[in-house]
Amino acid sequence: MKLEKPLQIDEKQWLGRLGVKGQADQHLRAAMDTCEKQLLQAIRPQGVYRILGLGALNLEGTAIQKHLAGCGEMTIMAATLGADVDRLLRVAQIRDMADAFILDCGASVLIEQVCDELEEQIQQQAGGFLTGRYSPGYGDLPIETQSQLLAALDAGRKIGLNVNNNHIMIPRKSVTAILGMADHPVTGYLATCGECALRDTCVLRKEGKSCAGF
Amino acid sequence: MLDFRKRPIFLDGGMGTTLQQSGLRPGASPDLLSLTDPDLITSIHKRYIEAGSDIVYANTFGANRFKLEGCGHTVEEVVDSAVKAARAACGSEYFVALDVGPLGELLEPMGTLAFEEAYEAFAQVMAQGAASGADLIVIETMTDLYEVKAAVLAAKEHTVLPVLVSMTFEENGRTFTGTSIPCMAAVLEGLGVQAVGINCSLGPVEIFPLAKALCDATKLPVLVKPNAGLPDPRTGEYSITPKEFAQAMAKYGELGVSLVGGCCGTTPEYIAEMKKAFSQDIMKGRAPSQEKSVICSGTQAAVIDKVTVIGERINPTGKKRMKQALIDRDYDYILSQAVQQIDAGAHVLDVNVGIPDIDEVELLPKVVKQLQAITDLPLQIDSSNPAAIEAALRVYNGKAIVNSVNGEEKVLERILPIVKKYGAAVVGLTLDENGIPSKAEDRFAIAERILERAAAAGIPKKDVFIDCLTLTASAQQAEVQETLKAVSMVKERLGLHTVLGVSNISFGLPCRPLINRTFLALAMENGLDLPIINPNDEDMMGTIYAFEMLHNRDKNAEHFIERYSDVSLGAMTRGAQKQEAVSENQEPSLFHALEKGMKTDTIHAVEQLLLKEDEMTVVNDYLIPALDKVGQGFEKGTIFLPQMMQAATAAQGGFELIKERLASSGKDQVSKGRVVIATVKGDIHDIGKNIVKVIMENYGFEMIDLGRDVPVETIVETVLEKEIKLVGLSALMTTTLKSMEETILAVKKAAPECKFLVGGAVLTPDYAEKIGADYYCKDAMKSVEAAKEVFGG
Repeated sequence: MKLEKPLQIDEKQWLGRLGVKGQADQHLRAAMDTCEKQLLQAIRPQGVYRILGLGALNLEGTAIQKHLAGCGEMTIMAATLGADVDRLLRVAQIRDMADAFILDCGASVLIEQVCDELEEQIQQQAGGFLTGRYSPGYGDLPIETQSQLLAALDAGRKIGLNVNNNHIMIPRKSVTAILGMADHPVTGYLATCGECALRDTCVLRKEGKSCAGF
Repeated sequence: MLDFRKRPIFLDGGMGTTLQQSGLRPGASPDLLSLTDPDLITSIHKRYIEAGSDIVYANTFGANRFKLEGCGHTVEEVVDSAVKAARAACGSEYFVALDVGPLGELLEPMGTLAFEEAYEAFAQVMAQGAASGADLIVIETMTDLYEVKAAVLAAKEHTVLPVLVSMTFEENGRTFTGTSIPCMAAVLEGLGVQAVGINCSLGPVEIFPLAKALCDATKLPVLVKPNAGLPDPRTGEYSITPKEFAQAMAKYGELGVSLVGGCCGTTPEYIAEMKKAFSQDIMKGRAPSQEKSVICSGTQAAVIDKVTVIGERINPTGKKRMKQALIDRDYDYILSQAVQQIDAGAHVLDVNVGIPDIDEVELLPKVVKQLQAITDLPLQIDSSNPAAIEAALRVYNGKAIVNSVNGEEKVLERILPIVKKYGAAVVGLTLDENGIPSKAEDRFAIAERILERAAAAGIPKKDVFIDCLTLTASAQQAEVQETLKAVSMVKERLGLHTVLGVSNISFGLPCRPLINRTFLALAMENGLDLPIINPNDEDMMGTIYAFEMLHNRDKNAEHFIERYSDVSLGAMTRGAQKQEAVSENQEPSLFHALEKGMKTDTIHAVEQLLLKEDEMTVVNDYLIPALDKVGQGFEKGTIFLPQMMQAATAAQGGFELIKERLASSGKDQVSKGRVVIATVKGDIHDIGKNIVKVIMENYGFEMIDLGRDVPVETIVETVLEKEIKLVGLSALMTTTLKSMEETILAVKKAAPECKFLVGGAVLTPDYAEKIGADYYCKDAMKSVEAAKEVFGG
């Protein structure tokens, strides 16, 4: 289904992804304004979700089981900003790499905002209580789960979202996730570094931080 | 075979839907059921035939090598069993369509699948489908016109069966990948399919306006297979009943849609109801579509109903920098020339890579692929080499113009069949083995002959454009009027569109722009539709805008005013970034401009410096120290990555100017060392790699960018061939780090001296060392340091 376009890009998140501490200077500000216009014009947010029984998919790893603990059902979802953003980013990389970088980070923020919007719709349509979003590749849920989720959602047909044989989603600015559903408040579970597939290479962990609450 | 124009043809409904009713698990593949339970498949086909379907789609939608990978059965087995299961239901009375869906992997440039690989995968399906006895081929639920092209070529080259194509559109009239209805119609008519249509995604009410647009855009029979409304996310049930579906479908008869069926959610009941409601008189409403000349890319169509600008800049003739870029395969430069022309307002881009000793057959399709990844504009394939033309047309996602044929018999014989096969338009030059006739009448006669021969080859008249050839006024002044006269004759008597390269007119005369724009105005008044010009020349573009306005085609002068409302006479430069412009008498400070990331000012400052310093001094004493200062700020954390990149792209503008100078004066380019850079096999995250490339280039390193998803062998070959001392690799996925390791291993085996710098979010110094990399670079500045160490600079 078609999702509403966000009205703007979350500034704090955007600067965070750009690696800018504090405020943007005037020149960067101007570039971000132009990029925001281009992005909001290029995106065509689409989402799809489906409510399944907990056993409907074969989900590996212990973290996702903990995430879904206490839930009666689960929702699987996928969202994408669409193919035009990929095209915008390709051209930007020829035209001006600085803008390309700013656009790329802005698009990453936007897809999270679009996921929030989809999650809200799921909440409204399905009722009950939801855990947070849990995505393949996170914790010990294998990245390979991506293909399973997209197939079960028929995402290629429904929202034009595909995955290649290296588990990269195309269009690039897309997200899949699993949410637990219950008739009582549930919090879900964030994987610990100990069970995370990225524990040896994680940049945050090297800095002594964790993505929990990030 | 059925005649799609005589009576309505009824197709079937959703196979997947019916199978899910029989208990197929969500996301599970229905393709293997043809092998494991053929009777079930046959029984579903029978139900559709009983409901009134003339044609059923065999259960082969996902039967291709990508979707069946790891299932334990070959594509051939699955296709054969599915076609036979359908035949068992159809007998000889009803028709079996080989159903070909998307491969499930996206093609370049969006995805990683090469066009040629897609073609091979489809060819396997098509050949088996024909061998197993399918009566026709249906390519359906497609969203990428490029993938459709691979499938249609595979069908045409491996079978003699009729080919029907239907694509899936959203309500805005575009597919998920951006294909529009006019593009689909233009490309598929050209490729010679038997019917085109729309299926899936939406219900019959929502598809109706799209089907109407398709009927307007093509003369081909049109097919429609909508969903039964929209699905409920919880239950998966579709929203409209068979009766509602039938009512909505009945309206398609009035459009003259001749093949109708259903997609997701449409059980046999829907088809039965639809057949009852559908009028038999399909031809009543189908108005013949207008004969417009349309060329297109995969996403954007250009209708030649106004002056259509063909940008001439991607052509090495007389351009040393472009020539060098083609030899070096410096696609960034070539693409930047495309982007400039797009921004200037070109409608079509000419692509010419002809240099002596260059392999056009290899290079032309490569450049076409690169260009179509970044532009929606249609391309003009400019070559006299038939093999190069064919190679380029084959991989082109769209309907191109071929430039050119001429009146010579052997040229027509070789090139026209290629134009026909790939459904392109063609430019005919009014010359032959005897040269260019001086008289307009004689050029007209050649144009007539070219048109005749094109018609005989099956190329529609609307796709033949004539170039009456501009001669140089300084050498053949009397013949200028003959050219204009010939243009007018071709336009009026033959009704063909005309092309002219314009700027040749002024060669050898002073004040060339004045001659060029005056001749352009005269030519347009005589009927020139497609001028080939430099769109960056605002004098020429302005002449065209004024012409369109004065001819009352630019209504209310809308486009003219939009372009020129804030431009003063005598300073016809658009797009200069005003807020950055430095006043004439102020000495621009390179340091300041670069640090603030102001591109225009930086270029201006470099121009000023070049008046008194040589190129190398400007690089070493000005540009690099300025960049160093920015780099130090970045290290200290006072400048952040976006600002550093803004400075770097500003510097790029300055370096480009220096490169142009060096190329035109025949001096060697700046090189502090040659570095190969690539994103490893399997990975397509290339923004980090491109950031590193820009920064390293600014420090004078010659970057050979192999792109993304680069096979190990390509990197090994390049290292050996160009005697590379340093390779930069990036990978962003844990799953593609393995490719990085394999690449390093393979290169070090072949060239033990070669060093590696690596980067990417999931890498760590330890891991980098473990896989044999010499330098772990956490950011672009670290890459520069590593390269300085390797090359000792």
